[in-house]
Amino acid sequence: MHIVDQLNRKLDARFGDKVRAQQEGDVVTLTGHVDTWMEKVEAGRMCASKQRSYYIVNDIVSEKEDILPMRVPPIKDTLLEGKHYDAVIIGAGIVGSAIARELARYNISILLLEKEHDVAMQASSRNDGMVHPGIDLKKGTQKQKYNKLGNEMYDKVCEELGVPFQRVGQYLGFVQKGAKYVLPLTPVHWHKMGVPCKYVSRKELLEKEPHLNKEVVCGLSFPSAGIVCPYNLTIAYAENAVDNGVKLSLDTAVLNMNVQNGVITSVVTNRGTIYPGVVINAAGVFSDEVAQMANDRFFSIHPRKGTNAILDKKAAYQVQTIASFLGTASTKTTHSKGGGVVSTIDGNLLIGPDAVETNDKEDYATTKESVASTFAKQGIASPLLKIPDIITYFTGVRAPTYEEDFVITKGRKTKNLVHAAGIQSPGLTAAPAIGVSVAKMAVELLGESKEVTLNKNFNPIRKAIPRTAELSIEERNQLIKQNPDYGVIVCRCEEVSRGEIIDALHRSVPCDTVDGVKRRVRPGMGRCQGGFCGPLVTGIIAKEKGISIDEVLKSGYGSELVYNPTKEALQNE
Amino acid sequence: MNKEKLYDVVVIGGGPAGLAAALSADEKGASVLLIEREARLGGILKQCIHDGFGLVRFGKKMAGPEYAQTFIDKIEKSKVHISLLTFATSIEKCDDGVRLTLVNCDGVETIIAKSLVLSTGCRERTARQIAIHGTRPAGVYTAGSAQYYTNVLGYMPTKKCVILGSGDIGLIMARRLTLEGATVIGVYEAKPTPSGLTRNIHQCLHDFNIPLYTSQTVTRVFGKERLEAVEVTMVDENMCPIKGTSKIIECDSLILSVGLIPENELAESLNVACDNRTKGPVCDQNYMTMQDGIFVCGNALHVNDLVDYVSESGEGAGKSAAQYQNEKRRLVEINPDNSFLYVVPQRLNLEKPIDSVVMFFRSNIERGKTKLSVTVDDKEVYTKIYRALRPPEMERISIDFTKLPIDEKSVIKLSLKEVSK
Repeated sequence: MHIVDQLNRKLDARFGDKVRAQQEGDVVTLTGHVDTWMEKVEAGRMCASKQRSYYIVNDIVSEKEDILPMRVPPIKDTLLEGKHYDAVIIGAGIVGSAIARELARYNISILLLEKEHDVAMQASSRNDGMVHPGIDLKKGTQKQKYNKLGNEMYDKVCEELGVPFQRVGQYLGFVQKGAKYVLPLTPVHWHKMGVPCKYVSRKELLEKEPHLNKEVVCGLSFPSAGIVCPYNLTIAYAENAVDNGVKLSLDTAVLNMNVQNGVITSVVTNRGTIYPGVVINAAGVFSDEVAQMANDRFFSIHPRKGTNAILDKKAAYQVQTIASFLGTASTKTTHSKGGGVVSTIDGNLLIGPDAVETNDKEDYATTKESVASTFAKQGIASPLLKIPDIITYFTGVRAPTYEEDFVITKGRKTKNLVHAAGIQSPGLTAAPAIGVSVAKMAVELLGESKEVTLNKNFNPIRKAIPRTAELSIEERNQLIKQNPDYGVIVCRCEEVSRGEIIDALHRSVPCDTVDGVKRRVRPGMGRCQGGFCGPLVTGIIAKEKGISIDEVLKSGYGSELVYNPTKEALQNE
Repeated sequence: MNKEKLYDVVVIGGGPAGLAAALSADEKGASVLLIEREARLGGILKQCIHDGFGLVRFGKKMAGPEYAQTFIDKIEKSKVHISLLTFATSIEKCDDGVRLTLVNCDGVETIIAKSLVLSTGCRERTARQIAIHGTRPAGVYTAGSAQYYTNVLGYMPTKKCVILGSGDIGLIMARRLTLEGATVIGVYEAKPTPSGLTRNIHQCLHDFNIPLYTSQTVTRVFGKERLEAVEVTMVDENMCPIKGTSKIIECDSLILSVGLIPENELAESLNVACDNRTKGPVCDQNYMTMQDGIFVCGNALHVNDLVDYVSESGEGAGKSAAQYQNEKRRLVEINPDNSFLYVVPQRLNLEKPIDSVVMFFRSNIERGKTKLSVTVDDKEVYTKIYRALRPPEMERISIDFTKLPIDEKSVIKLSLKEVSK
């Protein structure tokens, strides 16, 4: 029996004749009508191939709640009208930014597009910052391949880009009594997958992590796991790309494409129509919609929310590395690698995430339930975790395909297109390797019509903003002598100086918002969450950018922090 | 190697507590350094342009900056060294007392203090810390931030807002924003009774027809870029939201006045023991924490409702710090029962005068006619009858503990009992 017949029988049993599957090549397209978004996702999941032998395009219409349209910036101008670029990258998340930097190694013109007001605004700033060792990834998947390659690149990339990175290792704890007999055998399996792994006894585990749940019987150690600040790395990639000649256009959304004879001839944006040599789809949750515009859709994204909670630095002693417990709800949850308790590169503890399907690709609202369930799930790892230690929480939206794998390939029908799509966890880990691979594919495509040479002036080194609080007294003294602004502390919780904030405002990736400054140098990330420094940072931005305080934005357009001057101030003017 | 500067007393924080502490230490003849993180002295009083300060101390109503200025004038005439725009990045114990690392425009410097006064004030609880969910738009402010935007920067943070929490700053901002032309839709309070001073409920809300809704809280915010609406829900006696009672209120700002927490990051780095009830350090009647030579005062010790008491504790701490000689203490614990939100101080040092020990307390609930009783080994040493007690109103008493025999094994208890009228 054909696959599609089997699928239709399954669909009949669940949905009656409301939903049909059709097959063309290795793409199965689902059509029909269901009531809710969850039913649509369920149909897609039912039909997805475990062996990834075909792709699912889910065109079922969900009557009550279908996917919400992409939010588009309120800008309309002709900034990019009529411009030609060899490579146009859609999406300046970690993947798009890494691709941009890798492409900058060649003598080609590159345009990096981002619909938000800053880079790293979506999944890239909304994850737990884990550089995964590769646990739980199946051999032969794109995820497994790029995770391994990416993980190995991290030391060098972070060194070059001036981004703090630590290979803290991950401990996977087990509470089942039998585990200590079975577990010593498992490292062999992981080694075969290219994942360094070691069996650790209870004693050894508790020596390394003395505050873990005492019921643990033994564990596995994955020394190649690391932690990084995901938006810091994305910003660094983008800055290095721009420093090497990439043109970055923010507030720029791709609205349409013209495709003729299997070639994208132009890309229509809110800031003009662009003429690309090759187009790279790194549009995250919108990558299926971009594929559709490019006439090359063979996968569907079903967005999945996850919430992480961040704890006060004073709670950080509990876990020094990354700790997860197996056999608990956290790792059994479908399609979430479970997360755990992650010590962040900035010295907080992060707990999470959970996994909830949603029909809104930009649904960043947190809920009481998700924080509570995240906490309940991870609580087993360390009994000392307390909800009152939470200083903030945030939600991200993953971009899974129904195959639950990355889509990293040249276009299937469209010739001048490369997809870096469906990138969900472990996308952060994989990004450096995806960047290299996709850049190579793009150069191959460009090479068909023109000669592509190496850019001899490419400089892989990015100078980071100094973090004065982490310098030695001598270094700090020297810096303050050069520039006294480094001696004025604006954010007391995170000890951020005025000099660092001014630095953040004048770098190659434009930054002019309170949240943008926060992501770069951390004022407002501490326990008072900007209560004290928020207005001060606003004042510094106004001064540095030569605008008035009521023009300063928190995040994107429309997020002005204050309105008109007070009556008193008006009289003084 | 640079020789480290040595001071008898270093005071961290130039708000009302720190100013008073530095002045009183100076009066006792100590060499004093006052460290302030901001460019000007006065602490949070700089942005408190409303009146009502100094009633207890000066018998008149003063504005915040005016109140602060009386101390600033004195300190400028004193021998106190003042270091502005200076941040203490670390403190550690050393043989001579404590070593502080200070950062300012001139560079990094380490100094040594024989004794240290922490007058670091408090911070506001944030939206996330009270579990407000939803998006993260512009327009969610703590009352203190909104006050800074309005009074210091001169810009309106809102045109139409909801205020959550009936703490004093929230009430004062309700009036202030109304006077500036904004619409305050209402003040919502999760507790069944208001959290601010009675006088502020009258002067800031009733006089301006701003409604106060108790047993209701904000459960969610909406809006991608700027706040567009909030969801308000009724809560039960355990402050849990009641299903089906939510309503959506359109507004452009949510201003939070949901509690203050003593700021003790520096104290924590010295392992100063803290009181779970006050969230500030445990101290004795001389404002010395459980670490010898480390003193604490003002809102860093416990959150006061009147600045006059903040100054009083600053004076006490400064005086004790100046007289600190590294002598042994004999400490007795002070045990308030569960009828109190808290009592300060938490210890009595029998080596120091105990004839007029000043204590501050708050009742945990609103009470009618109530008897306060202080006992030593079950014998009453002090009683007082109050007509009424409310958690927002801090009470001050002065007790003579020399009336009864007392030693380290004694048990000091405090209790509140309602008495029939």
